[in-house]
Amino acid sequence: MAVIGKTGPARRQPPRRIDISQSILQIFLLGMVVVAIFPFIWMVFASLKPFKELVESRQLLPETWTLRNYDEILGRVNFYAAFRNSIVSAVSVTVVSVYTSSVMGYIFSKYRFAGKEVLFTIVLSTMMVPFAVIMVPLYITIANSFGLADDLGGIIVTGFYTAFGIFLMRQFMESIPFELIDAARIDGASEWRIFFTLVLPMSMSPMSALAVFVFLVNWDSFLWPLIVLSSQDKQTLPLVLAGLRNLWWTRYEMWAAGSMLTVAPVMLIYSIASRYFIRGIAMTGLKA
Amino acid sequence: MTTVADEGRPSGRAETMGVWFAVKETLRKPQFWFGFTMILPLLIWYWIFSFGPIIQAFRMSTVAYKLLDPGNSPFVGLGNFIKISQHPLFWVSVKNTILWAVYSFVFHLPLAMLIAVCLSKVKRGRNVYQALIFVPVVVSLVAVSLLFKMLMDPEVGQLNKLFSSVGLPELQWLSSSSSALPTAVVIATWKGLGFFVVILTAGMLNIPSELYDAGLVDGTNPWQQFWLITMPLMSHTILLVTVLLAIGSLQEFTLPTVLFGSEGGPGNSTFLYNLLVYQEAFLDIRFGTATAASLFQFAFILTISILQIKLLRPSWTY
Repeated sequence: MAVIGKTGPARRQPPRRIDISQSILQIFLLGMVVVAIFPFIWMVFASLKPFKELVESRQLLPETWTLRNYDEILGRVNFYAAFRNSIVSAVSVTVVSVYTSSVMGYIFSKYRFAGKEVLFTIVLSTMMVPFAVIMVPLYITIANSFGLADDLGGIIVTGFYTAFGIFLMRQFMESIPFELIDAARIDGASEWRIFFTLVLPMSMSPMSALAVFVFLVNWDSFLWPLIVLSSQDKQTLPLVLAGLRNLWWTRYEMWAAGSMLTVAPVMLIYSIASRYFIRGIAMTGLKA
Repeated sequence: MTTVADEGRPSGRAETMGVWFAVKETLRKPQFWFGFTMILPLLIWYWIFSFGPIIQAFRMSTVAYKLLDPGNSPFVGLGNFIKISQHPLFWVSVKNTILWAVYSFVFHLPLAMLIAVCLSKVKRGRNVYQALIFVPVVVSLVAVSLLFKMLMDPEVGQLNKLFSSVGLPELQWLSSSSSALPTAVVIATWKGLGFFVVILTAGMLNIPSELYDAGLVDGTNPWQQFWLITMPLMSHTILLVTVLLAIGSLQEFTLPTVLFGSEGGPGNSTFLYNLLVYQEAFLDIRFGTATAASLFQFAFILTISILQIKLLRPSWTY
């Protein structure tokens, strides 16, 4: 029986009809979920099959379960180094840019100073510039002025600020009442203290959405690391993973194992934080 | 310059006291020092890593860039722009990129709308469905590319095995020049759909339910509800999705590179514009023509974004 509840009599329809259309919706959405998830499930099992079985069998589950693929790939390719590089770069970019986004979001929403709107517009307008435009000059800057060519630092410093993050945090901080901040000022709190003990704790929800977003974007980042990082031991996971194509042409069980190693940490984070992430995306869609 | 945190309160006092006094007043405010120490690094960083490179890109596009002696690069005016447009693969890449964008629109939007409508109407399990449909979005694009390259292998891939077992013809997927591009966009759609579903669902749930109630009183059927209530009120969000799709497609790089390497697929059929820029810049080391090529792209994206802002002023309100 459909719940009608508070929406009033206007919503009332013959309950039976609602049940049928609801089950059609359920079946359709379930189908979509299967389409979205099934390839990964296949990949999990593919990484546990020997090569011969992978290319010949139509079964989803392996007949002979084996961890040799992982053994071989970890022996031949330095996944540990790639993993460490990815963690170091993605985590440092996330921590710094979530902090800078929050500070700038706070200042752009709660402070008044000459040129604020102009500055904000300029910062936002950099989002419209395609990365292809700045990749060459940026590489020259990184390489010549900072000596960070083929250095993890080169992909870290360029991520310290994100226009998107500043925009997102400003949108949220608009909703923090001025009275609250003024009250803290009257109580004698310093600006630093107001920001760290009042504003930041109130912003945990958009901050976690932004953090998950920034982390995943950087974890997945391909073009910029491809330009900056050239030596094997400095490369991040996506580069190493893409390199499997050339190392093992059509050794699909290796591809599957390598992909699993790349995807697993992301899946772990997503399974914990999916709610924040989706809320963050939905929020930008509504406010843009 | 006045730094006043409490907006809405008249700051007329400062204006009557003269400029010097106002400056002194400002410097005494803790807000000023907090704001100043925070904005300064922002300005420096943006100057070095964002505005600076953008300005440099404009300058670089007008010179024949000398790698070892950049200061003495000869000025060539519009030469780089002419040179890149005569590149043998320039028009191929433009055509492929536009095709990619069109396919991307056709594959993404109707399906994302359908799923979003279902999600907004379903009564149980919306969040779970949404979270699961969103999974491909968060998974590394490189892993997704490899995964589908395996599944779509014409000889040993699971998709062809599946097709032949239900009596459908086996396809060439990524291996033939006629199907490589649409197939690659199918993969991109599979990967990106969840993102647009979330945006569209949020937009639909934002439509006040009174409107649907009023529609029911007037005796609308679900089909009319969709076309007469949902679609007009969603036009804003749909336009946003369209622009995001267009900008995303124009900058596509990772997927074709991982699927086909930087050569551009069978018969150059997936050689996209960003591959041209990348090849020009970092394989052929012609920085001048590469930035010129990227500025064409910039102009195109700027036009789209301005059109979006012009079109985005809704003529209605709830």
